[in-house]
Amino acid sequence: MKSYFNAIFLAFRAIARSKLRAALTVLGILIGVAAVVIVVALGTGTRDLITGKFATLGANIIFIFPQSTQSSGAKQSGGGRMTEADGEAIAKEAQSVASVVPWNVAGGQVVFADKNWPTQIMGTTRGYWAVRGFTFAKGESWSESDEQLKTKVCVIGEAVRQALFGDTGDAMGQYVRIGRYPYRVIGVLAKKGNSPFGEDQDDRLLMPIGSFRARVLPMPPGRVMTLMASASSELTADRAVTQITDILRQRHHIQPEDESDFAVRNPLELRRIVETTANTLTLLLSAIAGVSLLVGGVGVMNIMLVSVTERTREIGIRMAIGATAADILVQFLVEAVTLCMFGGMAGTLLGVGFIRIINAAADLTMAVPIPAIVAAVGTSAAIGVIFGFLPARRAALMDPINALRNE
Amino acid sequence: MSAAAAPSSRREGPPLVASPDDIMFLDGITKDYVTEAVTVHALRRVDLTIKRGEFVAMVGQSGSGKSTMMNIIGCLDRPTQGRYLLDGIDVTHRSNDARAVVRNRLIGFVFQGFNLLPRTTALENVELPLVYRGVSSGDRAKRALKALQSVGLADRLHHTPNQLSGGQQQRVAIARALVTEPPLLLADEPTGNLDTRTSYEVLGLLQELNRNHNITIVLVTHEPDIAACASRVINMRDGRVRDDTYNKEPVDALKALADLPPVEE
Repeated sequence: MKSYFNAIFLAFRAIARSKLRAALTVLGILIGVAAVVIVVALGTGTRDLITGKFATLGANIIFIFPQSTQSSGAKQSGGGRMTEADGEAIAKEAQSVASVVPWNVAGGQVVFADKNWPTQIMGTTRGYWAVRGFTFAKGESWSESDEQLKTKVCVIGEAVRQALFGDTGDAMGQYVRIGRYPYRVIGVLAKKGNSPFGEDQDDRLLMPIGSFRARVLPMPPGRVMTLMASASSELTADRAVTQITDILRQRHHIQPEDESDFAVRNPLELRRIVETTANTLTLLLSAIAGVSLLVGGVGVMNIMLVSVTERTREIGIRMAIGATAADILVQFLVEAVTLCMFGGMAGTLLGVGFIRIINAAADLTMAVPIPAIVAAVGTSAAIGVIFGFLPARRAALMDPINALRNE
Repeated sequence: MSAAAAPSSRREGPPLVASPDDIMFLDGITKDYVTEAVTVHALRRVDLTIKRGEFVAMVGQSGSGKSTMMNIIGCLDRPTQGRYLLDGIDVTHRSNDARAVVRNRLIGFVFQGFNLLPRTTALENVELPLVYRGVSSGDRAKRALKALQSVGLADRLHHTPNQLSGGQQQRVAIARALVTEPPLLLADEPTGNLDTRTSYEVLGLLQELNRNHNITIVLVTHEPDIAACASRVINMRDGRVRDDTYNKEPVDALKALADLPPVEE
């Protein structure tokens, strides 16, 4: 016990005396730790990016759309028909579904004054904002009466606003024209960016679904192209998918042996797959970086063995004047651990610096992985103990007489 | 002399019971080195008693067993047979760690090759035994300073061994041996690497320590001039004590130094 503090002091001095050798010795550890830190940061950064993109779709969203069925290898034309009534039934009967909204879409030109802009024109209901997680930068949603009266109002995305009204122009209360009809802009959506599928979620114009069917893309009343449901929570999403499938199969009179005429897609599933892949990759790369740590440890052991041999006489002197085997063991063990810790910390600095550079260069916000740093530096300390033990033991077991005689 | 009180039933010679006056009591110490080809009898049943305050010179040719003797009385080695009491403690069969503690507490070592830690200041070298005793760093520095002052090196505290002359290095080594205030100082050819003048200087220092601080000194040498400074001379040969004589008038090293012809400048 008495000599631990002194051993740390001695270790620092022994290292300070041969800086170049110390630096070369811990190079493996340094690179290993830096690699672990960088790989984990990249891995978690990628995962966070993906998760963030999926989050823009809306919390626990589930997409339902008609799908053409195959019968005896021949594709049946038309596919299933889905209606708002299907959506209402799901909302009412599926316990794990919080809400359902209908959604129709068509490409079209939006015109304001001398500018026009091709965009996605969508018809939906007021529940859409909550299901897809849209918020308003300006204005607000249309009302229930707008939906009943199929009024000519619309909500536009930021990209549309910018295209038609310029960088700073105010769209509120202005009339935009689609086909022959003018629509009053009553709201502008807050910017959202790309979806995980690469679609610009700000390039859209939305209106009550009745207005859409009446003037944009004529369709029978109640007909919808897609239903968007949100599960009550992430945990119930899978159950919600089953419930929706059961309800729709029943409503569409599909026989148990037949294929559904609709498809239910849960992006959470996709997210899980992507995340699992990212995690596996991170783990694999970390393991490879870990091997470098191990190799670094062998390097430390090698140099410590040399150092013990070189300092045989010193060990003999120390033993003669009263150092016990434990004192000598601790001295060399602490030296190895200190060396490895230096390597670990230098590696951390290198890794963090690298992350900063990548962040600056690629305009990312990769976080510095604190748990990975703690683990990597802890591992290097452990490597110091493991690989320092053999040389330290060799020193501790020396015979003082022979050690003193050593030249 | 109470040591003469207990006669041996086994053999003639020194008593088998240690007296409190004895710093060292060796009873039938035997050391054999067994190699594949031969067994070397380095020490053959040596009985020896050294009293506190003695200044003993151990002389003998190489191979006489005096180095083995030093290793055993210095608790660096264990005898094959026999019993060794140091300062009243039976250290014959102690563990390595226990003997390390004994060395630290009871013995100061001075070597022919000085054996200072390289690239380490005089002060730190002298502090070293106290480190293994668990003395706080402030106390260590204080005591090391005192020890260095007592060997006349107060102005060389922060010099490393390669900045010091041989005599100065040996004095640092003596300070290191003294810093724990041990009852026994073992010197293995302490003047072997020094010229005559410096040898007498170092020897004078040892005599002073012996006289004024009552430190028992056992010194190995092969130089008769050096041995003449001791109060007792033990002559080893073939692993046995051949002669054990008391010097009625040991040479005063400092006087001998003064009597040396002046150095040509």
